Amino acid sequence: MLKINCKLVKRILVRFIREELQKFGFYRGIIGLSGGLDSTVCCYLAKEALGEKNIVALILPYKDLNKKDVEDAKEIAKKLGISYKVIDISPMVDAYFEKYPTENKILIGNKMARERMSILYDFSARENALVIGTSNKSELLLGYGTIHGDLAWAISPLGDLYKTQIFQLAQYLGVPEKIIKKIPSAGLWQDQTDEGEIGITYSEIDEILYQLIDMRKSPEEVISSGYDKEKVDRIVSLIRVSQFKRKMPPIAKISLRTVGLDFLYSRDWYK
Amino acid sequence: MKVTVAQIAPRLGDIEKNFQTHLDILENAKKQKSDLVIFPELSLTGYSLQDLVSEVALQVDSNHYFSEFKKISRDISFIIGFVEEKERGIFYNSSAFFNKGEIIHIHRKIFLPNYGIFEEARFFAKGNKFSVISSELGKIGILICRDFLHFPTSYILFVQGVEIIVVVSNSPVRGVSDKEYFESARLWECHGENVARLLTSFVIYCNRVGFEEGLCFGGGSFIFNPFGKIIKKADYIEEEIFSQEIDLQELKHARCMATYKRDDNPELILRELKKALNLIEKE
Repeated sequence: MLKINCKLVKRILVRFIREELQKFGFYRGIIGLSGGLDSTVCCYLAKEALGEKNIVALILPYKDLNKKDVEDAKEIAKKLGISYKVIDISPMVDAYFEKYPTENKILIGNKMARERMSILYDFSARENALVIGTSNKSELLLGYGTIHGDLAWAISPLGDLYKTQIFQLAQYLGVPEKIIKKIPSAGLWQDQTDEGEIGITYSEIDEILYQLIDMRKSPEEVISSGYDKEKVDRIVSLIRVSQFKRKMPPIAKISLRTVGLDFLYSRDWYK
Repeated sequence: MKVTVAQIAPRLGDIEKNFQTHLDILENAKKQKSDLVIFPELSLTGYSLQDLVSEVALQVDSNHYFSEFKKISRDISFIIGFVEEKERGIFYNSSAFFNKGEIIHIHRKIFLPNYGIFEEARFFAKGNKFSVISSELGKIGILICRDFLHFPTSYILFVQGVEIIVVVSNSPVRGVSDKEYFESARLWECHGENVARLLTSFVIYCNRVGFEEGLCFGGGSFIFNPFGKIIKKADYIEEEIFSQEIDLQELKHARCMATYKRDDNPELILRELKKALNLIEKE
């Protein structure tokens, strides 16, 4: 049910990246490259769409937290012939937490994700390149991302593909086996893994999400078709509590015409 | 006769730019001795208009684009898509048929999709008639996108004697599986083939390409002949302008071989429809 024709998907995404950038007068893209699967796939697609000279990869480690990933990210950038820059975010992040200390991993993780966003957007302006987001559909639906952090982008090529579909696409694009085999992780602390944190494997998550979202089945229908009740309930609750991350925040309506409510223009207006 | 199908990517809301694109394509088609050029739904304006609808709306009688189009149509016939302000403040998703210096027909979209990614009924008024127009190009009926997918619409044109059903469209791709095709494109192709074969008519489908708001318009424009055989198909996703010779004599051959037209009984259909709707008493 989650199998995709990668040739068709690649055609859509390559044209999407090229057209959405060029419409806004940009020929270059900037990608936060972690050395994981999603950002690597984004680099492969962006290279195809824009050419290797028009992509800037930013590798943004916190000290030596993900040393292996940083090496992989450099290797990918070199392999694709795209220019990259490594910027250690620890001086900025540490400076903040020295003043406002915390032991809370989530707070530290969110700060790191937002520091990366801040650097990506700074380089976006310096390099005249738009930020290509790397979130996938599984993460977006579960709310597994930091608002104004990794959920900030100019365009999102992978946002309508489940993680298991990105594995297929990666294989088709010829992403090295060692990247594909890596255990998915946000890399915000030592030994963090997506599946460990969510408590369900991506293959189960994606099947359940597909039934709930794409097929519009009710949680009860999904459970009665043989999925574990606890897992379905957990996924449903994650979707519900994270809806705010997927919508523009509300504006109190006062006037006759309100931004975001009834001032309705596509962002592609005159593009 | 030679038909040109313009699978283009209009710029949203930029009539001037799109108008120039139309002129270039018409100029080229004229050089290639094409008889009829078909542009997609809303070819002058793009699709995701929302509040732009009122701003890009054109009154047919009083704007320079249409006087220019009329002039060009002395040499070549064509169908374009635009937002029509028929009465002040009432807007239609329309397609105009230019022929011999005049607009000989305007079709106003009747079935406005309003679900999921579509919200046309929020911004447009509904048209209310299907027509077949006779000219030296044969008997042509125009349907706009979703109009075609409602079963009886092609039949109504058939009863009116249609020979060429022109379907202009803005269909985004959706539903990618492991298959070699887009689920959404297959819908058009299957229905196009069946309508062409069973109504023994030409079906010409002109879809657009390009992205708006993340929607990827799928292209894949095609022509089926009255035997239900595909005689031309454009690529998906990419711009393509193709010209294809079509032979109206094939209507005769197809209708000899498959006698759906001769054996049709619209009076009976009408009577049964009225019964189904309780408009007349059931026997």
